[in-house]
Amino acid sequence: MNSLINKPDRHDGIIAGLLWYGTLIASAVIMIGIMLGALTQIDGAPNLVQTGQALITLGVVIFVLLPIIRVALMLVMFAHARNYVYTAIAALVLAIIGVGVLLGL
Amino acid sequence: MDIATLFWLFAAAFGASMLGGMLGMASGIFIVPILIIAFGVDIHVAIAASIVSVIACSCGSAAPFLKGRLTNIKLAIVLETATTLGAVTGVLLIGIIPTPILYGLFAVILVLSAQQMMARRREPARAILSDPQSLASRLDLHSSFPDRQLGKDVAYQVARVPLGLSLMYGAGVISALLGIGSGVLKIPAMDTALRLPIKVSSATSNFMIGVTAAASGGAYLVRGDIDMNIAGPVALGSVVGALAGARLLMKLPADKLRILFAVILVALAIQMLMSALGIHLWGAGS
Repeated sequence: MNSLINKPDRHDGIIAGLLWYGTLIASAVIMIGIMLGALTQIDGAPNLVQTGQALITLGVVIFVLLPIIRVALMLVMFAHARNYVYTAIAALVLAIIGVGVLLGL
Repeated sequence: MDIATLFWLFAAAFGASMLGGMLGMASGIFIVPILIIAFGVDIHVAIAASIVSVIACSCGSAAPFLKGRLTNIKLAIVLETATTLGAVTGVLLIGIIPTPILYGLFAVILVLSAQQMMARRREPARAILSDPQSLASRLDLHSSFPDRQLGKDVAYQVARVPLGLSLMYGAGVISALLGIGSGVLKIPAMDTALRLPIKVSSATSNFMIGVTAAASGGAYLVRGDIDMNIAGPVALGSVVGALAGARLLMKLPADKLRILFAVILVALAIQMLMSALGIHLWGAGS
């Protein structure tokens, strides 16, 4: 059987792209947040501190969401390939993460 | 929190992650002790912040492995059922486990890491005959990876998936409890139970670490356990440092670096153990 992994390919490439660009975006958002905080200390404009804080938080949230989006993406890919066993496994992983988050609430 | 502290958090994470990256190891294990010892952060805050940097490093370094076809994504998602379940268990346990035990557990993991750092990893004996009734065969986990030295694809079999799953569950618990990627436990699990080629197990382990950490990280996030002013700069520093370290991977004498790292790990273990016993030589661990 030709598995997903044996094709060097679209699927791996899309997942790689998601994780790489997601990392870039989250890192950039955090960096801008820190820099806004730094700028404020020079200029003395207090408004930017809150924006900076919000951006740092946003960046951290993107990082936490990134692997979860990756699992969701794999679920869609497996479903698209009509690989229902793996679609179910990916759904199970998402469900476990969901339970964890609900327990945290 | 003032901007100087943010900068120092970034710099410390960058340094730890760059050194870790040079040896191909994750920096998560350094982040928690650094935050506790150098920044006087409470251990629970340090763990929650560290888990974000673990996610960041896993995501940031995944692409080359995926493009090199080293990551077995099917095996990863199968094992992730166990690692995420472990992580959720860890999230439930962390509120119950007394802080001194967390310090003690961390010390044990640091010593294990030092030991693993000194022991050379050998290619595990390959499982050659695949049992068509085994879980790995039924899940179509066997695969191949491109071996650059041989210049061709090398097929490999995946062995003893149930044993691998139980070890991964343990790795997930430890990951959530200590805010680390648990590579120190995942790698032996992959070598001894699943018997994967080293490159495949490193790539697949790294890929799984992000999801494992996201399971606990998501819970810590909604609980409000993550201090953004610590987690943000630390995650950023870790990613940039890991990418820089991977570039420098070949340029330094790895053996001396290895010994240095083992010594640092043991020193941190001693410090954590003393914190467990309530002795503080320096710093302000809670």
